[in-house]
Formats: sequence, C-alpha cells, structure tokens
Amino acid sequence: MGKFPHEAVVHLLIQLSVMILAARLFAEIARRLKQPAVVGEILAGVILGPTVMGMIQPEWFTTLFPTGAASGVVLSGIVQVAVVMLLFIAGLEVDLHVVWQQGKVALVTSVFGVVVPFALGFVFPYFFPQYFGFAENYSVFIFALFMGTAMSITALPVIVRILMDTNLFKSKMGLLVVSSAMIDDVTGWLIFSVILGMIGKGGHGLPLITTIIITLAFTATMLTVGRGVINRILPWINKNLAWPGGILSFSLGLCFMGASFTEYIGLHAVFGAFIIGVCVGDSEHFSERAKEIVHQFINSVFAPLFFVSIGLRVNFLTNFDLMLTLIIVVIAFVGKVLGCGLGTRLSGLTWRESLAAGFGMNARGAMEIILSIVALENGLINEKVFVSLVIMALVTSMTSGPLMKWYLRTSELGK
Amino acid sequence: MSGNIKNSNLGGVSIAFQKIAVGVAFSPTAEAMLMETARLAQILSAEMLLIHAGNQTTDTEARMNEMIAKCDINGSLRSRLTIIWGKGDPVDVILDSCRKHYVDLLVTGALKKENLVEYYVGTIARKVLRKAGCSVLTIVNPSTESKSYKNVVVSAEDSTYIEEALSTACSLVPRDNGSWLHIVREVKMYGLTMAASDQHTEEEYENVRQGLVKQEIEKVEEILKDIPHEGFRINIKMVSGKSGFELPKFAQRKNADLLVVGAPPRRFSFFDRLFPHDLEYIFADLPCNLLVVRQSKYRKEESRG
Repeated sequence: MGKFPHEAVVHLLIQLSVMILAARLFAEIARRLKQPAVVGEILAGVILGPTVMGMIQPEWFTTLFPTGAASGVVLSGIVQVAVVMLLFIAGLEVDLHVVWQQGKVALVTSVFGVVVPFALGFVFPYFFPQYFGFAENYSVFIFALFMGTAMSITALPVIVRILMDTNLFKSKMGLLVVSSAMIDDVTGWLIFSVILGMIGKGGHGLPLITTIIITLAFTATMLTVGRGVINRILPWINKNLAWPGGILSFSLGLCFMGASFTEYIGLHAVFGAFIIGVCVGDSEHFSERAKEIVHQFINSVFAPLFFVSIGLRVNFLTNFDLMLTLIIVVIAFVGKVLGCGLGTRLSGLTWRESLAAGFGMNARGAMEIILSIVALENGLINEKVFVSLVIMALVTSMTSGPLMKWYLRTSELGK
Repeated sequence: MSGNIKNSNLGGVSIAFQKIAVGVAFSPTAEAMLMETARLAQILSAEMLLIHAGNQTTDTEARMNEMIAKCDINGSLRSRLTIIWGKGDPVDVILDSCRKHYVDLLVTGALKKENLVEYYVGTIARKVLRKAGCSVLTIVNPSTESKSYKNVVVSAEDSTYIEEALSTACSLVPRDNGSWLHIVREVKMYGLTMAASDQHTEEEYENVRQGLVKQEIEKVEEILKDIPHEGFRINIKMVSGKSGFELPKFAQRKNADLLVVGAPPRRFSFFDRLFPHDLEYIFADLPCNLLVVRQSKYRKEESRG
C-alpha cells in the first residue's frame, strides 16, 4: 500500500468529522420538521459546499475541501464505497418473499408504476431534448432512456416510513405498495445498468443487445446459483464465526466483490452491489437482526457522507434552472401518481386508495440521487439536470407523506 | 416476543376431516402408519380409506388383512374402513383415489429431510404433499405406540388460510388431549421496518420495536376471538425472518409433536422449489409431523356433483 502523507491524514479526518457532524445536525433539524434525514444531509452538503460556503467564505471552502489534494482523492474513494454500500442495503430491502406472496397483483401495480413514468420520462426528453439540458455526450436515445429510468425509480425506505406513519404498512394496500416498489427498484436498476453498459467507460460502450444479455445473465445467475451458494455458506458462518462480525464481514466482502465484478465486466459497480444485496437479503439465514445492524451501520455513517458529498460537488445555485426543475418535478409527479394509481386500481383497490398509493410511491429519495450522481459521473447528464433531479427527489420525498395523509383524510371525510 | 393465554374448558368443535386416507405399501413402517391413521380416525370419528398401489391378489389381500388385524382395527372403525387397490404410479394412484372418494385428509409417511437431488426431483411423499387437493398429514416417525399430539405448533402467517389452520389446530388439540398450542406469527419485514425507523430517539426506536410485536399479538388474539380454543394452553410467539424458515426451527426447539400450516388449494411446482416460500422451507426439512390444512378440492367437486 502506498504511503499517505501525515498532513493528508489529518485533513481527511477533519473532512470526515465536519461532514458527519454537519450531516447529523441538519438531519436532526429535518427530523424535527418531520422530513427525511436525506433532506437535511443534502442541505448540510449545500451549506458546506460551493453553493453557500464557497460563495460566502471561498477560502474556508478551499481550505477544507481543496481540489486535487490527496485527502480529496481518498474522500471520493470513501464516497464511492458509500454509494456501493447504499445500493447493497437497497438490495437487502428487496424481500422476494413478500413480492412472491403478493404475486400478480404486485406485478401489475409495478408494471404500471414503471411503464407510465418511464414513458413520460422518455418521450419528453427524446422529442424536446433542448428543454432538458441534453449534454450531447451520448445519443438522445440513451439520454431519454436515463430520464425515463430516473422517473420510474422509487424510494422504498421513505415509502415504508410513510406507510408506518399512516398505519397502513401491514394493510393490503401497504403490502401491495411495498412489494410493487421492490419490483420497481429491481426493474429500474436493471434498466439503468443496461444504460451504463451502453455508454461504457471512456465512451467505449457495449452494444445494446450485449449489455442486456450481460445484465440479465448476471442477474439470473446470481438470483439462482449465487443465491443458492450464499444460502449454503451463511449457516456455516452463523454457526462457526463470531456474530455479527462474521456475517457482516462476509456480506460486505461479497458486496464489494460483486460490485468490482460488474464494474469489471462493463456494468456499474452499484448494480453488482444491488444484486448481491438482493441475494444475501433473500437468504433465510441472513437474520432480520443482521439486516437491522447493516442498515444502521451504513445509514448512520456512510449515507450521510455520501449525501453531504452531493452538495460539495455541485453548486446548486449557479446550476439551478427553474423551468427545467419544474418540468422534471411535474413529469415525476404525473408519471408516478398516474402510473401507480392505475396499477393499484387494476389490482383491486378503490380509486381513492389507488391515488393515495400513487402519492406514496411518488417518493424518490436516496435512490434517485444515487442514480443521478452515477449519471453525472458518466457524463450522461449535466450539472443542471443533476440539480433538478436532486430537487425532484427531495420534493417528492418531502411531499409524498403529507400528500398521501391529506388524500386519505380527505377521502375519509368525503365518505 | 410471546404472550400466554390460559384456557380451562374443553371445546367440542367438529372438525372437517370426515374421510381420512392413508397410502400404504408393504414396508417396515406400514403398520405404524396404519395405526397412526386409525388413531386419528377414531378421535375424529372419520371414515378410513386404505390406498395400496399394487396388484390385488389373494396373497396381497391376505397380507393386508393380516396387517389390519395386527393394528387392532376393530369395531365401528373396521366398518368404516375401505381398502382401495390401484395399479400404476403410486403418486397417481393415491391422488386419483383421494379425488374419487372425496378425501378430506391424506396421511403419508416421509423422511425428515430430502437430499438436494430428491428436493428438486421430488420423492413420492413430497410429491403427494405438494400435489394433493386436500389436507395432508405427513408423519415423520410413525409409531405403533399410541401417542397423542400434546405439543402442537400452528402457523398464524397472514393469509386467507390462517383461520382454517388455526381453527383446525384449535379443534384437534383438545380432541387429542393436547396440552399446548403454540401460535407462531411473523413480524413481517422486521429489518426493513426498523431500518425505516432510523430517525427516532432510542426510546422511540424501542417503542416502535415493541409496538410491532404488540400489534401482531393483537391480530392473533382478534382472530382467536371467533375460534373456540379451550382446554389447553396457548402461547402466541412472534418471529422475525421468513416464517416458513423460523416456524420449523421453533417447532424443533419446542419438541413439537405436530406442526399445522394452512396452504392454498393449488399444486406446488418446481418453481416453488427454485424460489422457496414458507411451505417449501418446511417441506425441505420436516421438523416433526406436519399437517397441511387445505380446503378439500375433492369435497368441492363432490358438492358440485
């Protein structure tokens, strides 16, 4: 291993300390305002980053986060690891068992919940790319594909929290919404993986069909053979190794291995982490307590680091485009509420329940931000689109709970 | 994560198992299987069908009668006993006979665990278990000694079959002089729920955790209100994780005599084994005797004429 200069170590530790503390402070403020932690964490980054501190006290900003410094390189490495781990826990959250129990109903809901927002998100940018800040690095088709995917993704933890608040989590509607959101996530990341495979690294992308085959082959192999192998190793680990150290080391080691493999074969690392998360989380030997620990560990340390880094990377003020943001927010709302509403209606819920479910599933949260940052890093979108997508993710996450509650309350009053 | 209810009076709920069939080959465990089934038919005052896949010859008939005599099947039960002979694949013979005779409960013997190949290909017992259109009682270690089901575990997993499973268990336990019924229910998506509760203080977090358990216990108690459950003790147990996986583990820990689960009337396919769900986890490694409660498809066919 290379030597890391003493000054850089100090610098890096200060950066981490400031980021984690600021994230916690603003997450607490968000919590008091009954908003998701991610809102506060992003805000912490915006304040520490070029948008606020960089404008008011540029020398503080450059001292704390100098460009090109060794500590900065290591910090971006840590943030990359954080993204991979966040996708790993997103995979852990996918409960194939619950999806299976819900069966066709969940499938119908999720198909509409993906197809309608995807179609809207694809059609408008495809025919009017100039209004969407098209970066011109890749074809309009790939750009539109990404925008479609960005519109169809969901934020499962936000949805779960909303359903818990409304006491609907274990209801028929709640389970339907959660299982559909799980299918949406898997579909969304599959499509996104194909897009990333198509654009490739340094512009050397794979043909569409090859990417689709690789993605599906990896997914199918992992969900059958891989899952079976994991399922046979985990009991041994549970029995012979220290708990929870053994299971955590194994699952995270596997996550990084899967991530490096997909990165190597031309898909993105996040996809490998996500699929490994699904496989590990689906094992009956990976206890719910272990899931809880992994979540707590990643959500409390790595997630804040990642979300603060978003604000550090981009100037949210200079890259803010009101019209673009409005268009994206409107498409996101219409696509998801309409799509999920239609899907749940066809699955047997009443119109009122369906639209309430649509509002609930509109939350994009952390997944949208991760999707956007990966797209930004790969030159698929520019900073303006990125800022608009982050704002859309925050707006949808902040409003879905109140809107769902408001709609359910109005429905109750109207009865 | 559990709660206890003590009951005193003996219940007298009639159980829907009016016709009980058992598949018998001339194997070392055949006698024990027959005795176990006869004991059950006595308790439930049910008709008994003995299905044998094989040729009906003077010799096999004599062996069968000898076996019946050894099993002490006399009196009214003997008059309610019918022997069915069928040729062909044992699984088809058993299932066809069940269908033709409108069987409510099929009793089979099975190995505790299948190896990997057997699991995917399926043995006779497992095939019957997966394909039968009626309830199936799978006996792991059949015994010639009369032994009642004292300690019964029942799954209260959220499904349309939960009431069938619970009421069957609640009516079987007192009839068989059982003493304990452990009702096991899963706290669904426990890990995800707790992960989504990361914006709480320690106290609130603990409240969420306890609330989850309490909520599920209350649901079980609510269902039990409509089901007579007297004459035995009830233990409501919450588990987190996949209930189909946790359920056998719990049954093993409690040294249960019988595990009762509800099941859909559909057949289980290879796909179910590839992506196992609750029942497939249990089928893969039977913790004790297993009663799969299924609304009899054959009875429905009979009522349709």
